[in-house]
Amino acid sequence: MELELVNAMAQVAPILEAMTEEAAAELAEGYALAAAAIAVGLAALGSGYAERGIGAAAVGAIAEDRDMFVPGIVLTVLPETLVIFAIVVIFLV
Amino acid sequence: MSAGASNPEFVNARVRSRRASLFSEEEYRKLVRMGPSGIARFMEETEYEREINRLGTRFSGVDLIEYALNRNLAKHFDDLLDWSEGRLYDLIARYLRKFDVWNVKTVIRGIYTDATPEEISTDLVRAGELDDATLDRLIEADSVEEVVELLSGTVFGDPLEAAYEAYETTGMLVPLENALDRAFYELLLEDLGRPTEGPEALYVEFLQAEIDFRNARNALRIARSGADLDPVEFYIEGGVLFTESELSRLVGDYDALIEHVADNGRYGARLSTALDRLREAESLIQFEHAVDAALLEYADTLSSVYPVSVSGVLSYVLAKEREVENIRAIARGKEVGLSEAEIEEELVIT
Repeated sequence: MELELVNAMAQVAPILEAMTEEAAAELAEGYALAAAAIAVGLAALGSGYAERGIGAAAVGAIAEDRDMFVPGIVLTVLPETLVIFAIVVIFLV
Repeated sequence: MSAGASNPEFVNARVRSRRASLFSEEEYRKLVRMGPSGIARFMEETEYEREINRLGTRFSGVDLIEYALNRNLAKHFDDLLDWSEGRLYDLIARYLRKFDVWNVKTVIRGIYTDATPEEISTDLVRAGELDDATLDRLIEADSVEEVVELLSGTVFGDPLEAAYEAYETTGMLVPLENALDRAFYELLLEDLGRPTEGPEALYVEFLQAEIDFRNARNALRIARSGADLDPVEFYIEGGVLFTESELSRLVGDYDALIEHVADNGRYGARLSTALDRLREAESLIQFEHAVDAALLEYADTLSSVYPVSVSGVLSYVLAKEREVENIRAIARGKEVGLSEAEIEEELVIT
């Protein structure tokens, strides 16, 4: 009886081991995705904050001189590159 | 006081753009060679177009230039208060109150000399915190007492009321005017404390410089004129250059006064050329111009240390005022027939 149980355990053990490894890998992948999401989110927050100041200044400059429209827009979206770089992270994980 | 977030980015962008369109040295040189009507025509093609056109039918010559300058100045400074919000508004309004002081003084003087409301109105610079409705009511006032009453709700109310008694007994405007000046300078530094770093530390430093220069100028004037005035009465608190007792001691001794300014670490080097000239007993006007130029330069330096703060606005305010004073000096100089070289002496260009 006891011997049978030991034999059975011996047969199941490798399978169990394989299963936990799989679960661990899945969990790790999940964490990686969550980290990437947070990274992109923070990057977006950062560029949003940067654009707030630049946008205000750009509108001020445009109000004084219409010709500042194009440079104003270019400078305003410049921090947007932060988010684009952060998106690369998604493809890397 | 106003609450909420401030918007230095927006205000700075607009202010810097306007700063760039101020008259350059070259344009001043052109103006110096023109007559009053030429100056008016030249101004019509610049920044001042609207004011010149609007006032052109009512005034002519130097008066037209003068009123156009005042209107334009008021428009620009009103804009500053319009744009700014929160803390920034508070800091700018503090400084622009000097036009309130100017306006109230003009009204009081006008009433004192029985000028008509129209005459007073043309001399006002509607740039300060007092709104148009209040100013119009002040102009219509019949007596100085009424003016004091009308201002009772404002920051100038209490000091004026306190000074009114002295005015009644002496019949002179000096106590009222001193009360206004003092109220302005006291409010400048009120509850700013002494911050040690950041833009506000520089703002305080700048205001201290302004107070110091004002004190130095008053002291030099009293010392030069030899008038028997009590310097303590004109002393403005808040500066770092003089204490009250130092000032009253130094006014008696002209050379010691100059040495005192020269020895000061903060301003000595900046004013050295002006002080040298003053030692040679040249005119006081030269020194005052040098002080103005030093203040202007000082404001410029501060505005590049903290680009996005109140410093940039201050430096614009000073530069604009200077431009108006320069054009006025040219026009008035031409009117009385000064030579080009003499007029150029009067200009402050940095």
